[in-house]
Amino acid sequence: MKNIKLFKASLVALALSAVSNVYAESLAITNATVHTVTEQGVLTNATIVIDNGTIIAINPEKVVADVTFDAMGKILTPGLIGSMNSLGLVEVGAVSRTRDARDKKADITFDASIAFNPRSTVVPYTRKGGITSNVTVPGGGDSMFKGQTFVADLSGEFDSVYIKENAVIIDLGAKSSGSRALNLQKLRYKLEDAQKALKKAAEEEQKAKKDKKDKKDEKADDKKKSPKEPKRDEKIINALLAGDKPLIAYADRATDLLELLKLKAEFNLDLVIAGGADAILISDQLAKAEVPIIFGALDNLPSSFDSLHSSLKNTAKLTQAGITVALAINDAHNLYQLRFEAGNAVANGLTKAQALASVTANVADIFNIDAGRIAVGKRADLVLWSADPFELSSKVDKMWINGKEHTTQSRHDELRKRYTTDSELPRGYTK
Amino acid sequence: MPIKQNIAPTLIAVGVSIALSGCLQSEPQDPKVSINKNPYPSTYQPLPKETTLIKNTTVLIGNGERLDNADVLMVDGKISQVGKSLSAVGAVEIDGTGKWVTPGVIDVHSHLGVYPSPSAESHSDGNEMTSPNTSEVWSEHSVWPQDPGFNAARAGGVTTLQILPGSANLFGGRGVTLRNVSSHTMQGMKFPAAPYGLKMACGENPKRVYGSRKVLPSTRMGNMAGYRMAWAEATEYKTAWEKYDRDYAAGKNPLAPARDLELDTLKGVLDGDILIHNHCYKAEEMAMMIDLGKEFNYKSGTFHHAIEGYKIADLLADNGNCAAMWPDWWGFKMEAYDMIQENVAVVNAVKNSCAIVHSDSSSTIQRLNQEAGKVMFRANENGFALKPAQAIRWITLNAAKSLGIDDKTGSLESGKNADLVLWNQSPFSVYAQAEQVFIDGAKVYDRFDEKYQAKSDFMLGQAAVPASTIKGGE
Repeated sequence: MKNIKLFKASLVALALSAVSNVYAESLAITNATVHTVTEQGVLTNATIVIDNGTIIAINPEKVVADVTFDAMGKILTPGLIGSMNSLGLVEVGAVSRTRDARDKKADITFDASIAFNPRSTVVPYTRKGGITSNVTVPGGGDSMFKGQTFVADLSGEFDSVYIKENAVIIDLGAKSSGSRALNLQKLRYKLEDAQKALKKAAEEEQKAKKDKKDKKDEKADDKKKSPKEPKRDEKIINALLAGDKPLIAYADRATDLLELLKLKAEFNLDLVIAGGADAILISDQLAKAEVPIIFGALDNLPSSFDSLHSSLKNTAKLTQAGITVALAINDAHNLYQLRFEAGNAVANGLTKAQALASVTANVADIFNIDAGRIAVGKRADLVLWSADPFELSSKVDKMWINGKEHTTQSRHDELRKRYTTDSELPRGYTK
Repeated sequence: MPIKQNIAPTLIAVGVSIALSGCLQSEPQDPKVSINKNPYPSTYQPLPKETTLIKNTTVLIGNGERLDNADVLMVDGKISQVGKSLSAVGAVEIDGTGKWVTPGVIDVHSHLGVYPSPSAESHSDGNEMTSPNTSEVWSEHSVWPQDPGFNAARAGGVTTLQILPGSANLFGGRGVTLRNVSSHTMQGMKFPAAPYGLKMACGENPKRVYGSRKVLPSTRMGNMAGYRMAWAEATEYKTAWEKYDRDYAAGKNPLAPARDLELDTLKGVLDGDILIHNHCYKAEEMAMMIDLGKEFNYKSGTFHHAIEGYKIADLLADNGNCAAMWPDWWGFKMEAYDMIQENVAVVNAVKNSCAIVHSDSSSTIQRLNQEAGKVMFRANENGFALKPAQAIRWITLNAAKSLGIDDKTGSLESGKNADLVLWNQSPFSVYAQAEQVFIDGAKVYDRFDEKYQAKSDFMLGQAAVPASTIKGGE
């Protein structure tokens, strides 16, 4: 990702975080095995100081903090970042009045962040997996544009959403009725038309300026000639053309991916592939074009004719080809399993460092989030693990979101306690 | 209970002459009508096998026992011995140092073959959603043996699996238990002498599917009414057949009851030949299904997707019910809202329990070892002290018990079918991989030898990934 974009995104983040809680106490986590997911690699016996929701120092010469916590050598990683799911928009899949991820009429302007429910029971449950932030993706409606993503932390607090409308989602590829060609064609036309309109507007503006110079007295014409304000949906397409927002395209078959690569080249898009089952066939082209892929590491069956080359080894192969791969789980209720998905990718050839990046820094880079790494200035989203973060046997010992410690306890634990605690009274009295 | 093979085919007369019957009756006897219980018999044959000895490995027997630095000997397709310092003349030896051996993994709940990959309208054969009672349909008649998912599941150590119909109906039809071997016919996979299952479904699915069509059931009470009406009718059917058999044996010439395929299946349950596999999430519903079994005098069998099993763990054990569960799926329906990650462990903790981890998924069936591992570790974080030797039961012996094949497979006890998996490490690690898989003593999968990696017809000749695009691959 280009630095300029990161800068823009962090400005948005700063603006939004202005309403966040201000934490009185600074914290030093000492004696941690810190997996920075930066060039620093792994720091042993390291100290991380966080204040006001931000990492302010790594291994400072003198530790200045209100509170000190001894990590006893355990592994500290950036909080994991989920993506491509409906976290906070769906409480129970089959209960229609708890579903806000879709609307038949939704289009490219659809911003579901307004409906995000930080009180959803899925949020604390997901913390069990060490997830500290999530890119929630709308399911959209009839349009091929499903709307725009937003980023929320998993604090469960009402100010959880910290980046809005940060990527555009488009659904391409195989269709149960109609031809895949039409949507690709429509996308091209949209981009072409927008480009033409922008060019025309620029020309008109130029002309208006010139005219103004030539005929200084004819003020009456000024208003008429000033370019029309673009519509809301047009502004979003313009943002894609300007490279201000990534276009996240669901697509699997190689032909679809190649067409998208053409569009990227022609219109200078910040293109990201979601799915990309066939990416393995054209990994060189994707790597050369610097197109990241958001991938499901466990997708190894030919679930459709678009995904005949799925394999458990593809995550490793794509990464080795030089592609930025982010791992994702598209079912919010199972999102907590993201670390196991990364572990399975390791079992099939990814290195542990690559795997950690695929669920932290790589997601952050794709969506322009100022998190996902342990570095000075980054969001203080941190997880302390009992052992290897990817192992079934490990667990989250402690986690901090935006610098504040959060529990991994959820409603599920209350239910377990109720039914494993002896009582003379009916279970309903065990609270 | 195993269905006996070689029973006389359907409706073929078993000749009993009047003279032989020697009765004092006025009417001559017509040929006896009997129903062939096994009209699509297994043609499964084990793959070529050798005497095989796995040396110096960690063995989870499947019955709760564990042996370290032990050997496993397979002879003639059976587990011959598990113990220290075994030897066998002419045996193929495998060095198991640092590796683990477990019984072959068994999934009691799969839709492979009936909802295969690729998912296509032409292949969506798992749910006969045309009537709330379709006890007459048999999942085996829908199985596409070329589903690539079978091969993927085998690479995950699955040696036996039950293919069930879906859960749209109160009675979804018969399930079939298969050996996870490559075959181009269903019969070639069919587990010899395994009993049939009958899929029943509680809760949201049937009432949603039929309620929307203004057909009973549209409520949970409608569900119960639907089961009870069916069992009442099946009881009459069974009585009618018994009366026919009794009268015939007495030398009379009774009219055989009209054959009814739907009631044949239900009668099979009442006769104890067919085992119930009941999609049922909620505690209060499982409690009623147990009583329903008592009302109509059949065993209420295994509850599948028993999300709330932990609420009635004692009731399940007292009544001899197995409960098949996920470690963590939840939230997709109201009846899946009260999930706890320790569910399997809580159910397992009661004496005489039968806790099972199942998949219901073409993906997680490939990692049932990890699914069981998740439960073990989460439970141990919360007051349990489960060991691998116990957790492996959830995907082996308990699953075999649920399917009525625990006398044949599910543990590495001498004399049982040599179904086993050689893992590269503890199967309860996220990094665990099955290296070799054996069914009836024959190697059916080897991670390092393409010769033992079966490929579906469907995948044959699909353009391969060009080697040049892979940098630093294997």
